[in-house]
Amino acid sequence: MYGKDILRLSRRKVLACTGAALAAGPLSVALHVPKSWAQAKTLRIAAGEADGATGTMDPAQSTADPDAARINLVFERLTVLDDAFAAAPQLAKSWESNATGDEWTFKLQEGVKFHDGEAFTAKHVVHTYKRLLDPKTASPGASSMAAIDPDAIAALDDHTVRFKLKTATVEFPALIANRFTYILREGQPESELRTAGIGTGPFKVKQFVPGEDVSTFVKNENYWRPGLPKVDAVELRAIPEESARIAAIESGQIDLVWDLGRAGVAGLQKNPDIKVVTTRSPFVLTLSCWADTPPFDDVRVRQAMKYVVDREQMLQLVLRGYGNIGDDNPVAPWIEYALQAETRARDIEKAKALLAEAGHPDGIDIELFTSETTPGFIEMATLYQAMASEAGIRVTLNKAPANDYWSAVWLKQPFVCSSWSGRGADDALAAPYLSTSDWNETHWKRPEFDAFINEARASTDVAKRTELYQNAQRLLREDGGAIISIFPDALSATRANISGWKLHPQQSTKDFSEVEIG
Amino acid sequence: MALISLLAVSAIIFWCVELLPGDAAERILGRNATPESLALLRETLNLHLSAPERYLTWLSNLLSGDFGTSLVADRPVLDYIASRIANTALLSGFALILYIPISIALGVITAINRGRMADHAISVVVLIFMCLPEFVIGILLISIFAIKLAWLPPLALIGQANGFGDLLRLIALPTITIVAAMSAYAVRMMRESLIEVLDSSYVLMARLKGLPTWRVLLFHALPNALGPAINITALNVAWMIGGVVVVEAVFEFPGIGRLMVDSISHKDVPVILAISMVMTGAYIATNLIADVLVILLNPKLR
Repeated sequence: MYGKDILRLSRRKVLACTGAALAAGPLSVALHVPKSWAQAKTLRIAAGEADGATGTMDPAQSTADPDAARINLVFERLTVLDDAFAAAPQLAKSWESNATGDEWTFKLQEGVKFHDGEAFTAKHVVHTYKRLLDPKTASPGASSMAAIDPDAIAALDDHTVRFKLKTATVEFPALIANRFTYILREGQPESELRTAGIGTGPFKVKQFVPGEDVSTFVKNENYWRPGLPKVDAVELRAIPEESARIAAIESGQIDLVWDLGRAGVAGLQKNPDIKVVTTRSPFVLTLSCWADTPPFDDVRVRQAMKYVVDREQMLQLVLRGYGNIGDDNPVAPWIEYALQAETRARDIEKAKALLAEAGHPDGIDIELFTSETTPGFIEMATLYQAMASEAGIRVTLNKAPANDYWSAVWLKQPFVCSSWSGRGADDALAAPYLSTSDWNETHWKRPEFDAFINEARASTDVAKRTELYQNAQRLLREDGGAIISIFPDALSATRANISGWKLHPQQSTKDFSEVEIG
Repeated sequence: MALISLLAVSAIIFWCVELLPGDAAERILGRNATPESLALLRETLNLHLSAPERYLTWLSNLLSGDFGTSLVADRPVLDYIASRIANTALLSGFALILYIPISIALGVITAINRGRMADHAISVVVLIFMCLPEFVIGILLISIFAIKLAWLPPLALIGQANGFGDLLRLIALPTITIVAAMSAYAVRMMRESLIEVLDSSYVLMARLKGLPTWRVLLFHALPNALGPAINITALNVAWMIGGVVVVEAVFEFPGIGRLMVDSISHKDVPVILAISMVMTGAYIATNLIADVLVILLNPKLR
């Protein structure tokens, strides 16, 4: 019996070993490892926002942050924005308009080539804009460029393009420096645009598959700006957990990250292997209420809600000082056309008096929606709750899930935390506050405000235009439903051996062409 | 029987996902959605059809072997989940290779040293790992081995691996985390059942026959003590296949669990259904294997 047992066991052992071998076989096949990356200078980037399977490289459909990073590697636009959000040339050398500002002619760079060798000419510009504005493309960017008449975009010669506008727009060159207008190669099939676009940019797509964690790009050897780019390849991935992102850069698995929280940056600043790179940004953090819904429909209530905010404290506690103070105006003071006014100081007595005047001597009870979707929302809402309570504004916080905050809460609830990426004055005012905007998050509709904006867009005289934009800001600041107390800086970090990197204050613009390793 | 379970699971999952607010079109367009672009996208994704219609289309395609196309990633589901399944299998495979000998060895050591220092020490450590959530173990391991000592990379970015050795280094920390979390139960189970067997009269008989201790342990006691441990292992394996979501998140490991979570947040129904089918299938299979093993080890059940 004993002998038999041993035999049986050993047979089982054989079976077990065979099983283990069978299991190990496919495992070793599963390792598909990219070679030849070791020698090349590869810049490894980690974004904080994970777009996962929704990722795209089609500029017309670009929504997420990693989309914008990928598109910036591969494509270029006619114009870009400088730090003050004024237009600067990229694929367009120069531009001019007629006297009324409704006809714009762009001179294009010569000698620029697409990745496949095709010369960049006016027909590609015409194709890109016609496709972008085509209702079939359903680009979320089309409405912001509705002024362009798609049938009147004309190539005057190989290097001259003319746009005719339905309404005069003096800021047109800045308006088209947005995330959707990257120039595509005419003739590339629609089906390739999501994953394998051909652009004129500093890098070419090597591999991008929506839903896979790494996308890879290689240097465009024929790039038109001499000496650029300075690395051979770029690897882009998303690491949504901030602690993981920080661990990755501290250990050298990643060279460059952004979307850092204020606490994380404070920790990184102590590490000699890391460079923290901050950029002043007009990114807007706002508390937005519906100006047509009680109790917010009374301007005195809205003003009281603004008077309770201690803006300096907001800056210190929410942003740890990494940012600038806001004055209920989405145009930051250093931006072109900004209204320069004294910041509203905290005044609890005045807030109480305004509430009493508005018929709420015992204060008001309101519900504020917040979420982790944008860093700072929770802190801002919590701090606001504490500040407001002193004036009898009793705020109940409602923390909503982050993943569908923008579809289920924003624009659906009367008092929410919201954020807007940095924009130039016109866009910052028009996108959220124009009465015709799809994203009118405060339900604030003032014909005077619309008139200021529309008139400013048509005034070719700079002084007149500045005055009109400032009038619009003044009106919004006094009467609007947005409590804008802080503009967070854009925070990023690189390994100490990386140079030439700076986050652009326009969030969707990321220029990696000058980044250098070692 | 298994097929009926699979069918039932698919219907229940589909219905649950339907109950979630919003749809894939909204999730794709996010903040930039306009009513026109939403309508257009719904049309392309066939989301304008009713829920039963969509389920039946999915089912009939599945019967002809077609798992469909991911709504969000716009690529064949099978192709999409295959690489993730391979990754998860890789991680689970390595974890299992470490887990089985470690749990058996620790179980045996604690059982034969019952009441002594070794038993107490191991039991306490095992209990600690049992109580700590995996993400805590994971973060502890990262801060010790990756940040403080800088021996191992913190994240399992397996796309960066340059050869097999590199890959082992990259997945070392997640593997250890999983093993630590899993072996706790198995060690305790192993210890209890081995103690019981060691006290039984047939083991006493074997000893009295004069057999050496290792022989008694290996050929007499262990096979009979393995039964409960195998069942625990089956549950553990099912847990691993179900995606060690938390571990995958901590180490940024591109596995099936992460994909499931992402797909649910995007409401990518074909992907969710395919992964559920794979997970259910794997669950049924591991339980079947465990039952067979237990029967093989126990002559009374044969």
